[in-house]
Amino acid sequence: MGGMSEETDVRAAPVAARVHLAHAVVQKLADDRGIDLLHLKGPAVLPGLRPEGRHSSDVDVLVRPSHLRSLVTAVESVGFEQRTSFATGSVFAHAANWWHDDWGWVDVHMSWPGVTIDAERAYDVLARDRVVRQIAHRDCPVPNRTAQRLILTLHSARSGGTTDLDHAWTAATPEEQDAVRALATELHAEVALAAGIGELELHRGDPTYLLWRHVTRGGSRFDEWRARLAAATTLRAKAELLTAAMRVNRDHLRMELGHAPTRSDIRARQRLRLRRAAGELTSRVRRS
Amino acid sequence: MRYRIADDVAWVSEEDLDGGEEPTAYLTRVPKGPPILLEGSGCVVWLALDEGGTLEEVIATAAAMTGAEPDSISDDVATLVDQLVVIGVVIEE
Repeated sequence: MGGMSEETDVRAAPVAARVHLAHAVVQKLADDRGIDLLHLKGPAVLPGLRPEGRHSSDVDVLVRPSHLRSLVTAVESVGFEQRTSFATGSVFAHAANWWHDDWGWVDVHMSWPGVTIDAERAYDVLARDRVVRQIAHRDCPVPNRTAQRLILTLHSARSGGTTDLDHAWTAATPEEQDAVRALATELHAEVALAAGIGELELHRGDPTYLLWRHVTRGGSRFDEWRARLAAATTLRAKAELLTAAMRVNRDHLRMELGHAPTRSDIRARQRLRLRRAAGELTSRVRRS
Repeated sequence: MRYRIADDVAWVSEEDLDGGEEPTAYLTRVPKGPPILLEGSGCVVWLALDEGGTLEEVIATAAAMTGAEPDSISDDVATLVDQLVVIGVVIEE
Protein backbone atom coordinates (compact mmCIF):
# COMPACT_ATOMS: atom_id res chain seq x y z
CA MET A 1 0.00 0.00 0.00
CA GLY A 2 1.08 3.55 -0.60
CA GLY A 3 1.70 5.71 2.37
CA MET A 4 1.27 9.17 3.62
CA SER A 5 3.75 11.97 3.90
CA GLU A 6 3.64 15.42 5.39
CA GLU A 7 4.90 18.92 4.64
CA THR A 8 8.15 18.26 2.79
CA ASP A 9 6.52 16.26 0.03
CA VAL A 10 3.39 18.29 -0.31
CA ARG A 11 5.41 21.46 -0.81
CA ALA A 12 6.37 19.92 -4.12
CA ALA A 13 2.69 19.39 -4.85
CA PRO A 14 1.15 21.08 -7.86
CA VAL A 15 0.49 24.73 -7.29
CA ALA A 16 -3.16 24.08 -8.13
CA ALA A 17 -3.49 21.71 -5.15
CA ARG A 18 -1.97 24.26 -2.80
CA VAL A 19 -4.27 26.96 -4.12
CA HIS A 20 -7.37 24.83 -3.53
CA LEU A 21 -6.32 24.04 0.04
CA ALA A 22 -5.38 27.66 0.69
CA HIS A 23 -8.87 28.83 -0.32
CA ALA A 24 -10.25 26.38 2.24
CA VAL A 25 -7.84 27.59 4.92
CA VAL A 26 -8.88 31.21 4.39
CA GLN A 27 -12.58 30.30 4.42
CA LYS A 28 -12.24 28.40 7.70
CA LEU A 29 -10.54 31.43 9.25
CA ALA A 30 -13.41 33.60 7.99
CA ASP A 31 -16.08 31.20 9.23
CA ASP A 32 -14.57 31.08 12.71
CA ARG A 33 -14.49 34.87 13.03
CA GLY A 34 -17.62 35.94 11.18
CA ILE A 35 -15.59 37.59 8.41
CA ASP A 36 -17.42 38.31 5.16
CA LEU A 37 -15.41 37.52 2.06
CA LEU A 38 -15.87 36.23 -1.46
CA HIS A 39 -13.51 33.90 -3.28
CA LEU A 40 -12.47 35.12 -6.71
CA LYS A 41 -10.76 33.65 -9.74
CA GLY A 42 -9.03 30.27 -9.88
CA PRO A 43 -11.12 27.45 -8.43
CA ALA A 44 -13.77 29.98 -7.39
CA VAL A 45 -14.72 30.59 -11.03
CA LEU A 46 -18.01 28.96 -12.01
CA PRO A 47 -17.98 26.30 -14.75
CA GLY A 48 -17.78 27.66 -18.27
CA LEU A 49 -16.31 31.01 -17.29
CA ARG A 50 -12.67 30.09 -17.78
CA PRO A 51 -10.70 27.81 -20.09
CA GLU A 52 -10.65 24.14 -19.09
CA GLY A 53 -7.48 23.06 -17.35
CA ARG A 54 -6.52 26.62 -16.45
CA HIS A 55 -5.23 27.04 -12.90
CA SER A 56 -4.37 29.99 -10.71
CA SER A 57 -1.07 30.35 -8.93
CA ASP A 58 -2.48 32.27 -5.97
CA VAL A 59 -5.63 32.79 -3.95
CA ASP A 60 -7.73 35.90 -4.50
CA VAL A 61 -10.37 36.96 -2.02
CA LEU A 62 -12.49 40.09 -1.76
CA VAL A 63 -13.07 40.99 1.88
CA ARG A 64 -15.72 43.29 3.27
CA PRO A 65 -13.52 46.35 3.93
CA SER A 66 -14.73 46.76 7.51
CA HIS A 67 -13.63 43.16 8.17
CA LEU A 68 -10.13 43.60 6.77
CA ARG A 69 -8.42 44.00 10.15
CA SER A 70 -9.99 40.77 11.42
CA LEU A 71 -8.91 38.90 8.31
CA VAL A 72 -5.35 40.16 8.56
CA THR A 73 -5.17 39.07 12.19
CA ALA A 74 -6.63 35.69 11.24
CA VAL A 75 -4.29 34.88 8.35
CA GLU A 76 -1.23 36.05 10.27
CA SER A 77 -2.25 33.85 13.23
CA VAL A 78 -1.62 30.76 11.08
CA GLY A 79 1.70 31.87 9.64
CA PHE A 80 0.93 34.07 6.65
CA GLU A 81 3.40 36.96 6.28
CA GLN A 82 2.44 40.22 4.62
CA ARG A 83 4.63 40.99 1.61
CA THR A 84 2.97 44.01 -0.01
CA SER A 85 0.70 46.70 1.37
CA PHE A 86 -2.45 48.16 -0.11
CA ALA A 87 -0.59 51.33 -1.07
CA THR A 88 2.10 49.49 -3.01
CA GLY A 89 0.39 46.30 -4.19
CA SER A 90 -0.76 47.68 -7.52
CA VAL A 91 -1.50 50.78 -9.54
CA PHE A 92 -5.04 50.65 -8.14
CA ALA A 93 -3.94 50.31 -4.47
CA HIS A 94 -6.72 47.77 -4.11
CA ALA A 95 -4.95 44.65 -2.83
CA ALA A 96 -2.16 43.44 -0.61
CA ASN A 97 -0.66 40.00 -0.47
CA TRP A 98 0.50 37.49 2.09
CA TRP A 99 2.84 34.53 1.75
CA HIS A 100 2.75 31.16 3.56
CA ASP A 101 5.40 28.49 3.12
CA ASP A 102 2.76 25.76 2.75
CA TRP A 103 -0.04 27.61 1.00
CA GLY A 104 1.75 30.17 -1.14
CA TRP A 105 0.27 33.56 -2.02
CA VAL A 106 -3.03 35.00 -0.86
CA ASP A 107 -4.12 38.28 -2.44
CA VAL A 108 -6.58 40.15 -0.27
CA HIS A 109 -8.68 42.68 -2.19
CA MET A 110 -10.65 45.44 -0.52
CA SER A 111 -12.05 46.55 -3.83
CA TRP A 112 -11.83 45.47 -7.44
CA PRO A 113 -10.06 47.65 -10.01
CA GLY A 114 -12.61 49.56 -12.02
CA VAL A 115 -15.33 49.62 -9.39
CA THR A 116 -15.58 53.21 -8.18
CA ILE A 117 -18.43 53.28 -5.66
CA ASP A 118 -17.65 53.05 -1.95
CA ALA A 119 -15.87 49.75 -1.32
CA GLU A 120 -18.18 48.64 1.50
CA ARG A 121 -21.23 49.22 -0.68
CA ALA A 122 -19.55 47.51 -3.60
CA TYR A 123 -18.96 44.47 -1.42
CA ASP A 124 -22.66 44.37 -0.57
CA VAL A 125 -23.60 44.52 -4.24
CA LEU A 126 -21.16 41.79 -5.28
CA ALA A 127 -22.12 39.58 -2.32
CA ARG A 128 -25.87 40.17 -2.68
CA ASP A 129 -26.48 37.21 -4.99
CA ARG A 130 -23.48 35.12 -3.99
CA VAL A 131 -23.51 31.39 -4.48
CA VAL A 132 -21.65 28.61 -2.70
CA ARG A 133 -18.95 26.71 -4.54
CA GLN A 134 -17.07 23.75 -3.15
CA ILE A 135 -13.33 24.29 -3.11
CA ALA A 136 -11.27 21.48 -1.59
CA HIS A 137 -14.59 19.99 -0.45
CA ARG A 138 -15.39 23.07 1.65
CA ASP A 139 -18.23 25.54 1.12
CA CYS A 140 -16.85 28.83 -0.17
CA PRO A 141 -19.02 31.85 -1.09
CA VAL A 142 -18.34 33.20 -4.58
CA PRO A 143 -20.00 35.94 -6.67
CA ASN A 144 -22.83 34.81 -8.91
CA ARG A 145 -22.32 34.25 -12.62
CA THR A 146 -23.06 37.82 -13.71
CA ALA A 147 -20.74 39.29 -11.08
CA GLN A 148 -18.03 36.80 -12.05
CA ARG A 149 -18.34 37.79 -15.70
CA LEU A 150 -17.85 41.42 -14.69
CA ILE A 151 -14.95 40.67 -12.33
CA LEU A 152 -13.12 38.61 -14.97
CA THR A 153 -13.72 41.22 -17.67
CA LEU A 154 -12.42 43.99 -15.41
CA HIS A 155 -9.43 41.82 -14.57
CA SER A 156 -8.78 41.32 -18.26
CA ALA A 157 -8.96 45.09 -18.77
CA ARG A 158 -6.43 45.86 -16.08
CA SER A 159 -4.15 43.09 -17.33
CA GLY A 160 -4.13 44.49 -20.83
CA GLY A 161 -6.38 41.74 -22.19
CA THR A 162 -6.49 38.06 -21.24
CA THR A 163 -8.18 34.91 -22.47
CA ASP A 164 -10.61 35.38 -19.58
CA LEU A 165 -12.45 37.79 -21.84
CA ASP A 166 -13.37 35.06 -24.34
CA HIS A 167 -15.28 33.08 -21.75
CA ALA A 168 -16.50 35.85 -19.47
CA TRP A 169 -17.70 38.31 -22.09
CA THR A 170 -17.40 37.25 -25.71
CA ALA A 171 -19.15 33.93 -25.19
CA ALA A 172 -21.95 35.49 -23.14
CA THR A 173 -25.40 35.89 -24.70
CA PRO A 174 -26.71 39.43 -25.33
CA GLU A 175 -28.97 39.04 -22.29
CA GLU A 176 -26.03 38.02 -20.14
CA GLN A 177 -23.98 40.93 -21.44
CA ASP A 178 -26.86 43.29 -20.61
CA ALA A 179 -26.89 41.95 -17.06
CA VAL A 180 -23.14 42.57 -16.78
CA ARG A 181 -23.56 46.12 -18.09
CA ALA A 182 -26.34 46.76 -15.57
CA LEU A 183 -24.15 45.51 -12.74
CA ALA A 184 -21.26 47.66 -13.97
CA THR A 185 -23.56 50.68 -13.92
CA GLU A 186 -24.61 49.92 -10.35
CA LEU A 187 -20.96 49.67 -9.32
CA HIS A 188 -19.91 52.69 -11.40
CA ALA A 189 -17.55 50.45 -13.30
CA GLU A 190 -18.71 51.41 -16.78
CA VAL A 191 -15.35 52.86 -17.89
CA ALA A 192 -13.38 49.82 -16.78
CA LEU A 193 -15.89 47.51 -18.43
CA ALA A 194 -15.63 49.57 -21.60
CA ALA A 195 -11.84 49.25 -21.43
CA GLY A 196 -12.22 45.48 -21.15
CA ILE A 197 -14.57 45.09 -24.09
CA GLY A 198 -13.03 47.61 -26.50
CA GLU A 199 -15.41 50.52 -25.95
CA LEU A 200 -13.08 52.80 -23.99
CA GLU A 201 -13.16 55.58 -26.60
CA LEU A 202 -16.80 56.20 -25.67
CA HIS A 203 -15.51 57.53 -22.33
CA ARG A 204 -12.85 60.04 -23.40
CA GLY A 205 -14.19 62.70 -21.05
CA ASP A 206 -14.05 60.52 -17.94
CA PRO A 207 -11.33 61.30 -15.34
CA THR A 208 -10.24 57.64 -15.40
CA TYR A 209 -10.02 57.44 -19.20
CA LEU A 210 -6.25 58.01 -19.32
CA LEU A 211 -5.63 55.47 -16.59
CA TRP A 212 -7.55 52.76 -18.42
CA ARG A 213 -5.95 53.68 -21.73
CA HIS A 214 -2.54 53.29 -20.08
CA VAL A 215 -3.52 50.00 -18.49
CA THR A 216 -4.93 48.51 -21.67
CA ARG A 217 -2.39 49.87 -24.15
CA GLY A 218 0.72 50.30 -22.04
CA GLY A 219 3.07 53.25 -21.93
CA SER A 220 5.90 54.72 -19.90
CA ARG A 221 5.96 55.21 -16.14
CA PHE A 222 5.55 58.90 -16.85
CA ASP A 223 2.31 58.17 -18.71
CA GLU A 224 1.18 55.97 -15.85
CA TRP A 225 1.64 58.68 -13.24
CA ARG A 226 0.00 61.25 -15.49
CA ALA A 227 -2.99 58.92 -15.85
CA ARG A 228 -3.14 58.21 -12.12
CA LEU A 229 -3.02 61.92 -11.38
CA ALA A 230 -5.86 62.58 -13.79
CA ALA A 231 -7.94 59.86 -12.15
CA ALA A 232 -7.35 61.25 -8.64
CA THR A 233 -10.35 63.52 -8.24
CA THR A 234 -9.50 65.22 -4.92
CA LEU A 235 -6.57 67.41 -3.94
CA ARG A 236 -5.68 65.03 -1.14
CA ALA A 237 -5.67 62.05 -3.51
CA LYS A 238 -3.40 63.96 -5.89
CA ALA A 239 -1.02 64.87 -3.05
CA GLU A 240 -0.84 61.26 -1.88
CA LEU A 241 -0.10 60.11 -5.39
CA LEU A 242 2.69 62.64 -5.88
CA THR A 243 4.25 61.59 -2.58
CA ALA A 244 4.08 57.95 -3.60
CA ALA A 245 5.61 58.78 -6.98
CA MET A 246 8.75 60.05 -5.27
CA ARG A 247 9.19 56.92 -3.18
CA VAL A 248 10.70 53.58 -4.09
CA ASN A 249 8.24 50.74 -3.72
CA ARG A 250 10.02 48.80 -0.96
CA ASP A 251 7.61 45.88 -1.14
CA HIS A 252 8.28 45.18 -4.79
CA LEU A 253 11.99 45.79 -4.32
CA ARG A 254 11.98 43.20 -1.56
CA MET A 255 10.33 40.67 -3.87
CA GLU A 256 12.83 41.41 -6.65
CA LEU A 257 15.82 41.17 -4.35
CA GLY A 258 14.57 38.23 -2.31
CA HIS A 259 15.39 40.03 0.93
CA ALA A 260 14.45 43.20 2.77
CA PRO A 261 16.04 46.09 0.85
CA THR A 262 18.94 47.87 2.50
CA ARG A 263 19.43 51.63 2.45
CA SER A 264 21.90 51.28 -0.40
CA ASP A 265 19.46 49.08 -2.38
CA ILE A 266 16.82 51.80 -2.05
CA ARG A 267 19.25 54.55 -2.99
CA ALA A 268 20.37 52.57 -6.03
CA ARG A 269 16.77 52.03 -7.08
CA GLN A 270 15.96 55.70 -6.53
CA ARG A 271 18.86 56.66 -8.82
CA LEU A 272 17.61 54.16 -11.41
CA ARG A 273 14.10 55.63 -11.27
CA LEU A 274 15.42 59.14 -11.68
CA ARG A 275 17.54 58.09 -14.65
CA ARG A 276 14.55 56.28 -16.18
CA ALA A 277 12.33 59.31 -15.66
CA ALA A 278 14.97 61.53 -17.22
CA GLY A 279 15.22 59.16 -20.16
CA GLU A 280 11.46 59.17 -20.66
CA LEU A 281 11.33 62.94 -20.52
CA THR A 282 14.20 63.21 -22.98
CA SER A 283 12.49 60.92 -25.46
CA ARG A 284 9.26 62.86 -24.96
CA VAL A 285 11.06 66.12 -25.76
CA ARG A 286 12.62 64.56 -28.84
CA ARG A 287 9.22 63.36 -30.03
CA SER A 288 7.62 66.75 -29.56
CA MET B 1 -17.50 1.34 14.23
CA ARG B 2 -17.87 3.65 11.25
CA TYR B 3 -15.21 5.86 9.69
CA ARG B 4 -15.53 9.15 7.87
CA ILE B 5 -13.46 12.19 6.94
CA ALA B 6 -13.28 14.71 9.80
CA ASP B 7 -15.32 17.91 9.52
CA ASP B 8 -12.28 20.20 9.58
CA VAL B 9 -10.53 18.58 6.63
CA ALA B 10 -10.08 20.21 3.24
CA TRP B 11 -8.85 18.00 0.45
CA VAL B 12 -8.39 17.85 -3.25
CA SER B 13 -7.47 14.98 -5.53
CA GLU B 14 -5.77 14.87 -8.89
CA GLU B 15 -9.22 14.14 -10.31
CA ASP B 16 -10.38 17.60 -9.19
CA LEU B 17 -7.30 19.14 -10.77
CA ASP B 18 -7.58 17.34 -14.14
CA GLY B 19 -4.21 16.09 -13.13
CA GLY B 20 -1.74 13.24 -13.21
CA GLU B 21 -2.08 9.55 -13.80
CA GLU B 22 -1.31 8.30 -10.31
CA PRO B 23 -4.12 8.74 -7.78
CA THR B 24 -3.04 11.51 -5.44
CA ALA B 25 -4.86 13.42 -2.73
CA TYR B 26 -3.69 16.52 -0.91
CA LEU B 27 -5.37 17.24 2.39
CA THR B 28 -5.10 19.31 5.49
CA ARG B 29 -6.93 20.16 8.67
CA VAL B 30 -8.06 23.74 8.32
CA PRO B 31 -6.91 26.23 9.23
CA LYS B 32 -3.56 25.18 10.69
CA GLY B 33 -2.47 22.24 8.58
CA PRO B 34 -0.05 20.62 8.08
CA PRO B 35 -0.49 19.61 4.46
CA ILE B 36 -0.57 15.87 3.89
CA LEU B 37 -0.02 13.91 0.71
CA LEU B 38 -1.62 10.54 -0.05
CA GLU B 39 -0.37 8.79 -3.15
CA GLY B 40 -1.37 5.66 -5.01
CA SER B 41 -3.28 3.19 -2.89
CA GLY B 42 -3.22 5.67 0.00
CA CYS B 43 -5.33 7.97 -2.15
CA VAL B 44 -7.65 5.08 -3.06
CA VAL B 45 -8.31 4.43 0.64
CA TRP B 46 -8.99 8.13 1.12
CA LEU B 47 -11.53 8.15 -1.70
CA ALA B 48 -13.15 5.08 -0.11
CA LEU B 49 -13.28 6.90 3.22
CA ASP B 50 -15.04 9.79 1.48
CA GLU B 51 -17.99 7.44 1.07
CA GLY B 52 -17.72 6.51 4.75
CA GLY B 53 -18.62 3.23 6.38
CA THR B 54 -17.32 0.42 8.52
CA LEU B 55 -13.76 -0.81 8.05
CA GLU B 56 -15.12 -3.74 6.05
CA GLU B 57 -17.07 -1.38 3.80
CA VAL B 58 -14.03 0.86 3.30
CA ILE B 59 -11.95 -2.20 2.41
CA ALA B 60 -14.62 -3.38 -0.01
CA THR B 61 -14.86 0.03 -1.68
CA ALA B 62 -11.07 0.30 -2.02
CA ALA B 63 -10.93 -3.22 -3.44
CA ALA B 64 -13.64 -2.40 -5.97
CA MET B 65 -11.74 0.72 -7.05
CA THR B 66 -8.52 -1.18 -7.63
CA GLY B 67 -9.76 -4.59 -8.69
CA ALA B 68 -7.91 -6.17 -5.77
CA GLU B 69 -9.20 -8.98 -3.57
CA PRO B 70 -10.47 -7.47 -0.30
CA ASP B 71 -8.53 -10.02 1.78
CA SER B 72 -5.27 -9.08 0.10
CA ILE B 73 -5.49 -5.41 1.08
CA SER B 74 -7.43 -5.51 4.36
CA ASP B 75 -4.40 -5.33 6.68
CA ASP B 76 -2.85 -2.40 4.81
CA VAL B 77 -6.16 -0.52 4.65
CA ALA B 78 -6.71 -1.05 8.39
CA THR B 79 -3.20 0.23 9.17
CA LEU B 80 -3.61 3.35 7.06
CA VAL B 81 -7.08 4.09 8.45
CA ASP B 82 -5.62 3.83 11.97
CA GLN B 83 -2.88 6.30 11.07
CA LEU B 84 -5.39 8.72 9.59
CA VAL B 85 -7.47 8.51 12.77
CA VAL B 86 -4.40 9.21 14.90
CA ILE B 87 -3.57 12.42 13.00
CA GLY B 88 -7.18 13.52 13.21
CA VAL B 89 -8.19 13.62 9.55
CA VAL B 90 -10.51 10.63 9.90
CA ILE B 91 -12.87 10.07 12.79
CA GLU B 92 -14.40 6.86 14.07
CA GLU B 93 -17.87 6.96 15.53
